[in-house]
Amino acid sequence: MEKKDIIQSFKDSLFTGFIALALFGPIVGLRTASKGEGLFITPQWGVVFVLVGLCILGRFLINLNSARTTEFTIFSKLASKFSAITEDKAKHFAITAILFAVVFPFLPFTDRYFMDVAIMILTYIMLGWGLNIVVGLAGLLDLGYVAFYAVGAYSYALIATTFGWSFWICLPLAGLFAAFFGILLGFPVLRLRGDYLAIVTLGFGEIIRIILINWYEVTNGPDGITGIPRPSFFGLPFKRSPDEGETSFHLFFNLEYSTMHRIIFLYYLILVLALITNYFTLKIRKLPVGRAWEALREDEIACKSLGVNPTNTKLTAFAIGAMFGGFAGSFFATRQAFISPESFTFIESAIIVAIVVLGGMGSQTGVVLASIFLIGITEMFRDLEQYRMIAFGGAMVLIMVFKPKGILANRKPTILMHGDKK
Amino acid sequence: MSNLLSVENLTMKFGGLTAIDDLSFDAKNNQITSIIGPNGAGKTTVFNCLTGFYKPTNGQMFLHKEDSKISLRKYTDFKIAYVAKVARTFQNIRLFPAMSVLENLLVAQHNELMVASGYSLYGLLNLKTYRDKEQLAVDKAKYWLDIIGLTHRADDNAGDLPYGDQRKLEIVRAMCIEPRLLCLDEPAAGLNPKESAELNQLLKFIKTEKQTGILLIEHDMSVVMGISDHVVVLNYGKKIFQGTADQTKNSKEVIEAYLGVDE
Repeated sequence: MEKKDIIQSFKDSLFTGFIALALFGPIVGLRTASKGEGLFITPQWGVVFVLVGLCILGRFLINLNSARTTEFTIFSKLASKFSAITEDKAKHFAITAILFAVVFPFLPFTDRYFMDVAIMILTYIMLGWGLNIVVGLAGLLDLGYVAFYAVGAYSYALIATTFGWSFWICLPLAGLFAAFFGILLGFPVLRLRGDYLAIVTLGFGEIIRIILINWYEVTNGPDGITGIPRPSFFGLPFKRSPDEGETSFHLFFNLEYSTMHRIIFLYYLILVLALITNYFTLKIRKLPVGRAWEALREDEIACKSLGVNPTNTKLTAFAIGAMFGGFAGSFFATRQAFISPESFTFIESAIIVAIVVLGGMGSQTGVVLASIFLIGITEMFRDLEQYRMIAFGGAMVLIMVFKPKGILANRKPTILMHGDKK
Repeated sequence: MSNLLSVENLTMKFGGLTAIDDLSFDAKNNQITSIIGPNGAGKTTVFNCLTGFYKPTNGQMFLHKEDSKISLRKYTDFKIAYVAKVARTFQNIRLFPAMSVLENLLVAQHNELMVASGYSLYGLLNLKTYRDKEQLAVDKAKYWLDIIGLTHRADDNAGDLPYGDQRKLEIVRAMCIEPRLLCLDEPAAGLNPKESAELNQLLKFIKTEKQTGILLIEHDMSVVMGISDHVVVLNYGKKIFQGTADQTKNSKEVIEAYLGVDE
């Protein structure tokens, strides 16, 4: 690297520092604190100084890295090595990951907290896989995916609390309702593409949430729905003292009662649901309809010239993507036993889209890695309370700097003429 | 030679601009009909009307079958390719660049494969009936790839192919829908002489071996004069001449349209 380059990157980092100062100065530097009767400003220039310094240093390192002809930072090396493993040995990687997921609840260090985080990550993986059909395969940027999650959750909650039907009947119904809403959204946006589609879907997500808040008679408004039935293990509830004539899980299997039983059951439930989503997506991608989705993403006009019906193709993508969102929603409702519109805000959609895009559009493994990375890191910093969102943003920036096309960006053909050469 | 396509009094207006003005011509089965003319003469607009991208202001377009004829006006959008079996290629290549060459050819057989996969049901169940049909589709793709000599690149991304190969791939992709009429919009644009010669070979093969009529827009006169059976010359949306390639070459009107009138 030449001296000129170093000076250039140093100048650039100073400029970054200047922008950072302009941002952090007022936001972090001037802190309002209420003391007694008034509101006072407490300056904290030390923190600003540290933050700006970090920005300058970070920018300088990034500049140095991009000026090199060979990669030298640990991050990019690790990242490329990791992608190499996951791509070349995709099958082994998948089997190892699934095996790990299966034994995870019984590992010695696994406690209640780990299980909760794992369930959350799996929920996001499932949502990511569902949205991957719409965004990754069909190329329709849907910023309102949380609407289908909400429809699934509320359908489940309303059916289960009103009719008292079991989880296994309500689950497909909730999926059907969500798919129906997917088609409902699909029709008006058929002609839209890109930015316009994104805006309308974003609006759709908000419409659903606002309906949930205002339709008090049905949805109980902002108070939400309470007392959603918990799932039972094929008819055996997870209760310490079962009702008359009922046998609970721990009694049937002669176990000591523990709340972990239900958590572990929920964990396996979402694991199975997520794996079904994955299996289905991998299968359908290799079918004509899956190829038509991808062709539509590549070039809609060419699709029409080949006789592919774009309306049906788009609607199936919306419907199937929405259906899996609905399944995930039902799971969310039964796990929480309480849902309110607050759980279905735009930030949820944004997180799911971030997972799909950062994972590498269309890559199933990428969704898993991005979910673990984004949600896991955010959870690791839970002690920092509101600052943990910085970790979320930081994780996004890291991926964008080192893997701008997403963690796993390689697409494998759905069918090979000459077989696998490797 | 039976008539395949007859265009009658076709008119297309965009606001005050008349892009095509009362155009009538015929195209025959197993013949190559070229539409030529200076830039802005309305050639691509004719294609867009034929292939359902525009709805003509006036006029009729008929595709003849053995003893019946269907009106192309009735079909828009994807139905032109699906029902009427009119295929087209584009001036700026429109492949699916991130999909493999083979996948490109399978998307062209989407409708048959959709039925074969029981609208995805048989496919999800991995039934043998579907797998057999899929194999047939792959065989058909291989047949065409053998003809254009791209079989060895079947699993590569279409976007990674050299420009000339992409042109040829787009043509055989259109052939995979088994069209009755194939509309080619400047297939030789950007090709070198060797590639142009290969293109001529391919078009002659399609013309003689398949039950297909070809409609061709082209600026490259070596292609037009080498393979056209019939030439239609447009200028400012009007037909100024039609005849064989040799007649066209010597026509006074055509030379004037291209080079201007001696004052």
